[in-house]
Amino acid sequence: MTSQTKSRIIEKGKLTKLLDKLAHDYHLIAPVRDNNVSFRRVESGSEVTLDYINTVLSPKNAFFPQTETLFRFSRDNNGGLGLEQDDEADREHVIFGIRPCDARSLRLMDMVFNGQYKDSYYLNRREKTTLIGLACFDPAETCFCPTFGIDPASGEDVDILFSDIGDRYLVEASTEKGAALLDRFAEFFDKLKGDEEQLRENKKAGLVGMKKLDVKAIADKMAPLYEGDYWDSIGMKCLGCGICTYLCPTCHCFDIADVSLDEGGERFRCWDSCMFPEFTLMASGENPRPNRKARVQQRFFHKLKYFPDRNGEVACVGCGRCIRYCPVNIDIAKIIEDVTSGKAGNE
Amino acid sequence: MKATSEEVQARVKKLFKDGSIAHFIGYETGSDGLRVTPCFLKSGQAASRLVWNPLCANNLSKYLLDFKNVEGKVGIIVKGCDSRSVVELLKENQIDRDKVFIMGVPCSGIVDREKLLEVLGVSPGEVVAVEDDGDAFLVTLKKGKKRVDKEKVLRGECLVCKYPTPVVYDVLLGEAVSSLPWVGDDYKVIKEQEALSSEEKALYWNKELSRCIRCYACRNVCPVCTCPECIFDKKAPHWLTKANDISENLFYHLVRAFHVAGKCVDCGECERACPMNIPLRSLNKKVEKDLLELFDYTAGIDVEQQPPLTTFKVGDLDESL
Repeated sequence: MTSQTKSRIIEKGKLTKLLDKLAHDYHLIAPVRDNNVSFRRVESGSEVTLDYINTVLSPKNAFFPQTETLFRFSRDNNGGLGLEQDDEADREHVIFGIRPCDARSLRLMDMVFNGQYKDSYYLNRREKTTLIGLACFDPAETCFCPTFGIDPASGEDVDILFSDIGDRYLVEASTEKGAALLDRFAEFFDKLKGDEEQLRENKKAGLVGMKKLDVKAIADKMAPLYEGDYWDSIGMKCLGCGICTYLCPTCHCFDIADVSLDEGGERFRCWDSCMFPEFTLMASGENPRPNRKARVQQRFFHKLKYFPDRNGEVACVGCGRCIRYCPVNIDIAKIIEDVTSGKAGNE
Repeated sequence: MKATSEEVQARVKKLFKDGSIAHFIGYETGSDGLRVTPCFLKSGQAASRLVWNPLCANNLSKYLLDFKNVEGKVGIIVKGCDSRSVVELLKENQIDRDKVFIMGVPCSGIVDREKLLEVLGVSPGEVVAVEDDGDAFLVTLKKGKKRVDKEKVLRGECLVCKYPTPVVYDVLLGEAVSSLPWVGDDYKVIKEQEALSSEEKALYWNKELSRCIRCYACRNVCPVCTCPECIFDKKAPHWLTKANDISENLFYHLVRAFHVAGKCVDCGECERACPMNIPLRSLNKKVEKDLLELFDYTAGIDVEQQPPLTTFKVGDLDESL
């Protein structure tokens, strides 16, 4: 995908200055260390850290914010109703430092928000954002992105990929949008020295032995597990908190609610989680997913069966966040292994 | 002598065999050498899966609520702190003492996984096992063994733990531990925070709680959060929206801290579960300190002792009425 002509390098010493410039010209979102590392708006390059494996929260917030006002309403003096929508800032956004797994997750989210129903809020942000990826050469042990055909050193789902090859970054544009951005900031980049490919190959040694599971037939293998007791012990363990869904870069369920005071209010949408009992609670008091087992089962069926049935892809990118942060160690990689090996049906 | 996994396994097998229990809640090895995961047994056959080691952080007592209406007695393994939350569950009649078999294990501190990884400078996959070794942990790595001073890698609540030995049990495995040598002033951090001005406190908590993603892990993992329907989940009245902003986050955490006042035993589960590293124990610890100073009350010690916030005495402080 990447033609040699679009490849450049940037000396490490120049990176902060480039980020300064990006922060000036764009709405720049980058990883910042403040207690933990997370993506947030930065005003200068010095705020950015690149010393992390991956962030606790995925950058999905930049496209699908945890809480977002859809519109405001008010009563005017004549008793009429006023509706007001926030103008989306017309500034272009740049996300710097997104990992290949998280970049792939956006492609999966696109299938939802850019499917039959076009979600303008999400799509506006997607369109206005340039993704600058950071190749991953030192994955965590909970990482298993190769399972989903993701190459942690590739720029397949980003506009530009930065690869740390020692004293400099190899910089490759993989889209027109990315190439245009590189041209615009050409002063920061230099020509290749010639040893970059070799240096990158050396770095890739860190990726050897990454967990790669076979998920080809997973949707079919999930089907018979709808009945049976495989989910009993997992549901038993599950606390029903929202860590896995909120940290997941592909989970996209939301709720919509109004808050109003006398003179007006707003309608907002916010993340919701299938792990919460009231997620499926009906006005009648009936809850079709009445217990933790039913909810935990739904989460894995959505990821491993319904989403692939609908979109041809498993709704997981192997980022490992849910594994690392689950307080009771429910492990999606182990569940995938149990399902594909047939162990799940025999418990 | 300290309890071992083998001892736990043998005892659980025996309990199933002689019909003392129909279920058992324990720990088994998790995804890597530094994780354990809750394990639920219905017979002694799989008891060999059970482990007991300094990684067994989870307070399993909350799961007892799931066995309320289940036939037969349920066995559970508890550390000192866990046993104190069992006491609170008993006080509230959340569980029936006759339906629970409590296997107590004296505990000499639990490993903080992140601290240990940082001190050792290794990834979790390199760790094979962690054993208790007096004032240190003996860590078996794929390449060799290392001794790590406990004080550097203990969980926060273990650094101030005054009840390492379970306060309620049917059987105690291993010798009782009367006190832990590193425990000093357990309110040092709280006193520092109390010394701040209101503005500084607001600044501190607004910053910490603005990170909250309202996943409710702290509530769901909490062994004394037992309401069948939490006020934060109620739709009518809708006390709390799902909107994530500092006002809603603050409301959630402060109400929760008051709801567990007099019940929190500082097992540290809220802080362990929090993916955003919010120092939640500080909130509860402050309430704990106030209860101690105002009512000379410590939660989770004695089933007969009534929580101060649910009792009334004529001599109570007027200002609280």
